[in-house]
Amino acid sequence: MLTTQSRMGRLVIFILLCILGASAVYPLLFMAFNSFRSSQAYNVNPFGLPTSLHFDNFHQLLTSIPFTASILHTVIVIIPADVLGTLFSALAAFVFTKTAFKGSQGLFYLMLMVMLMPGVVVIIPLYVTVVHLGLTNSFAPAILIYAAINIPFSTYLMRANFRGIPDALVEAARVDGAHLLRVFRSVIVPAGLPAIMTVGILTFLNIWNELFLSIVLLHTPNREMLTPTLTLLSGRYGTDIPVLLAGLLLGALPTIFIYLVSARLFVRGLMSGSIR
Amino acid sequence: MPDSATLTLDGTPEALATPASSPARRRRRRYGIFPFVALAPAVILVVGIMIYPIGQTVYHSLTSWDGQTSRFIGFHNFVTLWRDHLMRQVLGNSAIFLISVPMIVIASLIAAVLVYEQVIGWRVFRILFFLPGILSPVVVGELVTTFVTPNGLANLPLRWLGLKPINWLGSPWPARFTIMGALVWTSFGFGMMILLSAMTTIDHALYDAALIDGAGWFRRLRSVTIPMISEQLQFLSVINVVYTFTALFGFVYVITTGGPGFSTTTIDYYTYTTTFENGDFGYGAALAVVLFVIVLALTVVQFKLLPRHEVQ
Repeated sequence: MLTTQSRMGRLVIFILLCILGASAVYPLLFMAFNSFRSSQAYNVNPFGLPTSLHFDNFHQLLTSIPFTASILHTVIVIIPADVLGTLFSALAAFVFTKTAFKGSQGLFYLMLMVMLMPGVVVIIPLYVTVVHLGLTNSFAPAILIYAAINIPFSTYLMRANFRGIPDALVEAARVDGAHLLRVFRSVIVPAGLPAIMTVGILTFLNIWNELFLSIVLLHTPNREMLTPTLTLLSGRYGTDIPVLLAGLLLGALPTIFIYLVSARLFVRGLMSGSIR
Repeated sequence: MPDSATLTLDGTPEALATPASSPARRRRRRYGIFPFVALAPAVILVVGIMIYPIGQTVYHSLTSWDGQTSRFIGFHNFVTLWRDHLMRQVLGNSAIFLISVPMIVIASLIAAVLVYEQVIGWRVFRILFFLPGILSPVVVGELVTTFVTPNGLANLPLRWLGLKPINWLGSPWPARFTIMGALVWTSFGFGMMILLSAMTTIDHALYDAALIDGAGWFRRLRSVTIPMISEQLQFLSVINVVYTFTALFGFVYVITTGGPGFSTTTIDYYTYTTTFENGDFGYGAALAVVLFVIVLALTVVQFKLLPRHEVQ
């Protein structure tokens, strides 16, 4: 840990950390500051600080129908997709770690195989199917597809974590006559809660931030999700950068908020599950 | 770091963890059909929405297909693909984007090494460094486009030096570096986490020994820290190679739309335009198959590199 004892060395490291920290955070501050500035002020000096809180940019965005509606659409998709994806992955991870039956190893390898696959690889036939079924106006395909593509990594992460839950706890519950579903609810869910929550948060961020599938699946005018709508801002407000930045801020705020609130859990879950 | 490992090592009495008599058979009988029922939703979704469509994509790569009717044409699409100059340029672009891999690994290493010293506020820095990684590529991409305008952040140093601002998105190399900049900015936090998790397991006696031998700070970094995290450095390199093939779509779509010319077009973006803008579903499927093979090969390499106990 502390490999440098000298005061001078630690000061240098602190200064370097500040520089790196500034480069990580400054773009976000730039976005936040300018969201509250007028277009004129921005054009005079993009790097200025807000002198007064100027809410017109937000007003302009929130009264534009597609922006507010797109947030609603994303929420409609994200809640069931996240809940289903996380629940199904937790059940799968439970079976993979705490029961033994033929074929579970093979199924797990199948999941590993597609864990890093991008949406492009699967979307072409799925899109054609959705069109054939006449579901281009429905949120259902997006919900199922988002749930499915997050399952392999979620299962992988929770499996790594559930392996640390002592088998003895499961055995003890079984001796008491608990059905496996009860074991899942009363042993695995409480003991694995940090991992389950980490997965739920990661899935939420993935879907909230995803662009490709949301462009392809929900492109009818009254069904667009948030990220495709954000891509339209630069065309619409290309000359009015503060409005664009206000839109980006609103789009990023939920993810920033969730990350900062759950940072401790997040950091630990990521560090223990990603590679070991 | 290894919460679960400590649990199994310390929290479980050996005898309880491994029941003595034929556990496999007893379990199967007692657990009945529950494992199948519990696995079913995940497996059905993954097979139905990922595995089966990959099969369909492979089949349709052998057809001429407009999304309505398809006609079997054998390997015609792949022959066309082999001669496709645009495809060569796209693969060339992917090779160029690999430059970002050492950039990400080095930035991750610098961040991890600095945080590892645990100077004042290191926990805050650790959280801040990861912050860009939780943003949507759309947010990052749009933000970057405001930085590469003539009076934007990327031209500020040039203007201080009295030089002319660069038109970043107007020529191939600056446009590529704009995209790579966005990728490095959003990726180094994750890399830092991976490396830090390995560093926290380094035995501190190694540093003490190096100190007694008179090794300076850089020498300790080179001879103790880096060798101890070599597995994670390998993992990071491979996973970021995968990401240069799978994670650039959002940046390309938002920042450059593949241009200028096709100098920033990636395979996924080319697949997207071929299929969904030009309506050539068969050729798009062939492109998707190429991407599938690349990602699958890299996935195998990555799991071969993982410490062995991980994928048991």
